[in-house]
Amino acid sequence: MKKIGLSFYLTWKYITRGRKWTLLLTIFLMTAAFINLVFIPALFNGIINGSNQQIVDTLTGDIYVTPPNGSDYINDVSQVTNKIKSINGIKDVSAAFSVPARIKYNNITGNWQIIAVNPDNHSNVFDVSKKMTSGSYLASNDLNQIIIGRQIAGGKDVEENALSLKTARTGNNISLNLDNGISRTLKVKGIFNTGFVQSDERAFITYNELTSIMPTLKNKATTINIKLVTGANEGQVIKNIIADKLNVNVYSWQDAAGIMKSVSSSFVSINVLLSATSVLIAAVTIIIIIYITVINKRKEIGILRVIGVKPYIIVLSYVILSAIYALIGITVGTLVFWFVLTPYFEAHPFVLPICNAVLDLSWSDFIIRAQAILIVSIFSGLVPTLVVAHTKMLDAILGK
Amino acid sequence: MINPPSRVIIKVSNITKIYQSGGISFKASRSLSLDINAGEFIMITGRNGSGKSTLMHQMALLDRPDKGEIYINDEPTAHLSEKHRMDFRLTKLGYIFQEYALIAELTALENVMLPAMMTGSNKEARKKALGLLEKIHLGHKYNRLPAQLSGGEQQKVAIARSLVNDPIIIFADEPTANLDTVASKEVLEIFKSLNQDEGITIVMVTHEPEELTYATRIVHLADGRIIK
Repeated sequence: MKKIGLSFYLTWKYITRGRKWTLLLTIFLMTAAFINLVFIPALFNGIINGSNQQIVDTLTGDIYVTPPNGSDYINDVSQVTNKIKSINGIKDVSAAFSVPARIKYNNITGNWQIIAVNPDNHSNVFDVSKKMTSGSYLASNDLNQIIIGRQIAGGKDVEENALSLKTARTGNNISLNLDNGISRTLKVKGIFNTGFVQSDERAFITYNELTSIMPTLKNKATTINIKLVTGANEGQVIKNIIADKLNVNVYSWQDAAGIMKSVSSSFVSINVLLSATSVLIAAVTIIIIIYITVINKRKEIGILRVIGVKPYIIVLSYVILSAIYALIGITVGTLVFWFVLTPYFEAHPFVLPICNAVLDLSWSDFIIRAQAILIVSIFSGLVPTLVVAHTKMLDAILGK
Repeated sequence: MINPPSRVIIKVSNITKIYQSGGISFKASRSLSLDINAGEFIMITGRNGSGKSTLMHQMALLDRPDKGEIYINDEPTAHLSEKHRMDFRLTKLGYIFQEYALIAELTALENVMLPAMMTGSNKEARKKALGLLEKIHLGHKYNRLPAQLSGGEQQKVAIARSLVNDPIIIFADEPTANLDTVASKEVLEIFKSLNQDEGITIVMVTHEPEELTYATRIVHLADGRIIK
């Protein structure tokens, strides 16, 4: 085994003195195989994490509090929210009262959820205030004003345009009819587009507006949404809220995600399947690349054996060669992925009805895939070289 | 001056080699026996398919006979393990191919050094390889890759490589087949010098009648048998 240095010597010569175009092509293919292996999972992770973030940022917050079983409301909201706010790890709390309503504009009507909020708290918990595409967000003392989601306002490119008000725009007056027969005319103060259809088919009014219409709802809420500080332990906060015996039901955002939970779950399953397929494709690609390299060197391997170079030295030299191909492919692939593809998709995300997806892959997932490429490459270098290094010398030399 | 033949260095004893191809058996060596003395320059000749290369491959330990035995330096080799045969080839035998068979990615010097790097230090291997290249008048081209050398020069490098571990026998399989007349003569003169001046036993396969004059003995083969 003292001659292992000879394996490295031979590998170095193959790389530095071999055909440059062959080397470049091999590195290109290894890079492509590696990018294929990381791109699809990164895209799916981007969609999954993006849609999850949309749920948290526009629909539920990190934690979601609902009325106790058998009750339609959370009573004494100010007391409940103050108690929740005092728990460690909570950034802010937003109480909301959600009512079904019929909205009419320009002889077009539709049914949507109208949510009454305190705009200051709401903008601390949700991103809706940052997603205004026209007009402006609500202020605490706003009365007779409403902001509506893109799916309610409608428009040429809107996914649910057929069910929308079609042409409602900022500054228009719309008619709001509640189930109890109360009707109000409100001015559209702004239109928001979160990029998440489920969030954009809602409208917001101020809590003051709601209680001016229905004074009996004062200090009541249908939900309380909670935003946690970065790094807070969601499970522990939920336990602490429950421990306060506030007579409410407490859920994590995942519990409140509804259909999006199964959508995310489906994406996770698809991601696993596609990742497995990507590994298989990468493995086959690499095996073919290395196999062709080794087969092209069959005669040379035979010559090395004839002149007395031991098979383990020959095998090791090709294993090292395969590993170096893989490492260069991984390095180039890493640079392309992190410094070309990721910034590109940050600037030009995939626009989906559930989120604007960017590439998202954790370093641990990235390293696992790099290791997979490396292991497959070593295996791909080992097997054909072992076969060639142990076939009859004359067959190797004569190309039989 | 030609060294007088002395003791037997290769003893081929009643070997038979059968090849199978497409379900058909072909006897490439038929109960063939041959003694080669140390210091001889043997040329094996015969028509295509006569079994020249088969005999050469078996004597050079690149292949095994199906029957019989081959002794090199009195050591039976037919049943040696592959590891022992490899060690034998590395330290006692030199082999020269028809198509030069140099490693394309190594320079002339590195090609010659390679077998010596298996047996000693890189420094010693380099020194010895440089000496051999000087001896065959290629010292000034030590840093050239095979593709930058002529056919004759490549074959000379292959000869230097076969010599680097001080073999007792050199096998050459039609070493001039791809060379022009001038280069062929140069190669044969090197063999003659190695044989006459250094006493190295040379076994060479050739098709060329004019080359037979270099041999101390000629072995004619036909249909896997020695005919004279």
